[in-house]
Amino acid sequence: MSKAILIKGGRVVDPASGHDKVADVLVVAGKFAGIGKFIEREVHRQHAHVTEVETLDAKGLVVAPGLIDLRAHLGEPGHDSEETIAHGAEVAIHGGFTTVACLPDTDPPLDNVAAALFVKRQSEKAGFAEVHPVCALTKNREGKELTEIGQLIEAGAVAFSDEMRASDEPGGLLRAMRYAAMFDRAVIEYAQDPGLAGGAMNAGYEATLAGLPGISGVAEELAIARACMFAREAGCHYHAPKLTTRNSVRAVKRAQKLKVRVTAEVCAHHLAFTDEVVRRAYDTNFKVFPPFRSANDIAWLKRGLKEGVISCIASGHHPVAPQEKELEFGRAPFGAVGLETALAVVITNLVNSGDLSLIDALAKLTVNPAAVLRLNHKKGAISVGLDGDLCLFDPNAEWEVTSQALTSRTKNSPFLGMQLTGKARFVVTRGRVFEL
Amino acid sequence: MTTAVAWKRKDLLGLEGLSREEILHVLDTASGFKEISTRSIKKAPALRGKVVLNLFFEPSTRTKASFSLAAQRLSADLVDVVKEASSAVKGESLVDTGRNLEAMGVDIVVVRHQQAGAPALLARSLDACVVNAGDGTHEHPTQGLLDIFTMREKFGDLAGKKIALVGDITHSRVARSNIWGLRKLGAEVGLIGPKTLIPGAFKDLGVNIHYNLDEVIDHYDVFNILRIQMERQNKGLFPSVREYHYLYGIDSKRLSRMKPDVVIMHPGPINRGIEISQEVADGENSVILRQVANGLAVRMAVLVLVQSAKDTHGG
Repeated sequence: MSKAILIKGGRVVDPASGHDKVADVLVVAGKFAGIGKFIEREVHRQHAHVTEVETLDAKGLVVAPGLIDLRAHLGEPGHDSEETIAHGAEVAIHGGFTTVACLPDTDPPLDNVAAALFVKRQSEKAGFAEVHPVCALTKNREGKELTEIGQLIEAGAVAFSDEMRASDEPGGLLRAMRYAAMFDRAVIEYAQDPGLAGGAMNAGYEATLAGLPGISGVAEELAIARACMFAREAGCHYHAPKLTTRNSVRAVKRAQKLKVRVTAEVCAHHLAFTDEVVRRAYDTNFKVFPPFRSANDIAWLKRGLKEGVISCIASGHHPVAPQEKELEFGRAPFGAVGLETALAVVITNLVNSGDLSLIDALAKLTVNPAAVLRLNHKKGAISVGLDGDLCLFDPNAEWEVTSQALTSRTKNSPFLGMQLTGKARFVVTRGRVFEL
Repeated sequence: MTTAVAWKRKDLLGLEGLSREEILHVLDTASGFKEISTRSIKKAPALRGKVVLNLFFEPSTRTKASFSLAAQRLSADLVDVVKEASSAVKGESLVDTGRNLEAMGVDIVVVRHQQAGAPALLARSLDACVVNAGDGTHEHPTQGLLDIFTMREKFGDLAGKKIALVGDITHSRVARSNIWGLRKLGAEVGLIGPKTLIPGAFKDLGVNIHYNLDEVIDHYDVFNILRIQMERQNKGLFPSVREYHYLYGIDSKRLSRMKPDVVIMHPGPINRGIEISQEVADGENSVILRQVANGLAVRMAVLVLVQSAKDTHGG
């Protein structure tokens, strides 16, 4: 006895297969059962065990694979007043995401089997987007003792990262990459020299005038270039996260040319803002890490996306409590929520601007991140047998980002007050339909 | 006093956002108040019944005294809150501190803070007027205004005048306010100092940058000499005080090679014998004490203007 969901008449865009035309999609018992033309009573005939067919009219909507996020801080354990796994998973649904990789910089960190299992359990209990843990590469994210990578994979770890580790010993990263290379998982790392990276905003003209200490792009570029070299040495898959500068894009491109296994991502908000916004009002919602850079850097990020050097776009979702964001700019913590705006930012700042076609842009939110997380055997594409995860969105819907419009517990979005185009209307996952 | 330009700002956060006309309006208003200082009875009633709060999170002698005296000459009630005595050490946020003090009926908050943008944060959170008395390495607008006021006393119109700022530009809020104000009034601005203390980004503001003082010593009409902070040496930004003095110290030998009527300024406090020698600081070309006197008039003007803007335009 099972339920079928029939999504009728939408523009089905599946980057994995290149499919981009109006069609129906059939989901039976939570898995894709077909793309094409379906009528309800045939569903009953072909799938004898189906007891109920829920039909969704998708006319005027894009039907895409459920979005997959590589980079969300969900707070739990340790910061659950800001966000929890269960609620974060619900926020993700509102943004069109059906799968989220959460980062290990929790308190305590996700560096042991019990913590990884905890994430999975919270995710299953909640029943919204699937949350998968990115586990720490080293114990306590200190860059010294390795975590039990083999057992963590068994417990559900989809990738490994020390996520801005506390201590930065470069040799430690190389060692960890060598060990991780035995397993089929990516290492995600962004380990900057603390002496270069201290600051509150992008180093340069704007920081000079704002009187705020600058974070040099060189710090990021060294970190990315070094990790690329380590990946070559270790024979490991390195995923370069949250690129923001021209030379970071170049470093990744160079490594890819040398056939090093390197993939890269950009966070959606880095495509939308330059460091000019900071000085307007010292608004701490614009304080993110890495910081917003220059227009030239954004042009290079877009170029990297077009050339395929950057294969993924992440939300960089990072809730911060309002009392923390109400501090002086130099003292406030970094972070911006992004799960609910990422799709709209991609449509507004990449597709509508003519930089990427819709199908190419969606690849960076679906099939490509699925591959980085080794989830492509069940997610990221609309293909018979895979998990029936879908994001149905209106690519022309204009909406204003307001506190009320965001489901996220904290409202630290740099987009507050701005108009964006593109909004998820329905999400299908776990055999359920979420109407948004 | 001109009344041609209306001042509509309830806050003074920096000179960057001001127009040329607004700057001139403050300076003209200040001229009027300077005249009051020469009378035997030095009090004016402009802020009678108003409360001015000095909220200082950083040590300051002259700026705080100058604002206090300005408020008192305008007949305002004055409250001083300094960091040691405030709740900042107990973990109360700046915004909460501001709101609490505002609830006691404060009309104008004069704030000095280590963090750039702190006055902007207060201005956004409070109905009271906010006057920036120096925020981190961002701006120190009343110092910029009083420097410009002093230069105008000497030269009148500053268009085409050549003004040099010497020293640690990177960490100087005084330099930033001077640059904004002087550029708006059409002056030529030069920055002189070691490369580690002058960010290249300043070039984009249309100023000259010189690393060699002696090459341009007879080019400038004014040398505004900034205090060099000893802790920068420990951070490896310059090797020693002795080397700094050798390269950039203004002494009588260098003074003799400057234009004869050159104006020497310093926002204080002075490290005598380091960035400026005793003879130069106290010499005929120095207007350092006049800067202090003018500061009072400028701050009276600022307090009156922001309060009347709030009264007329509701902020």
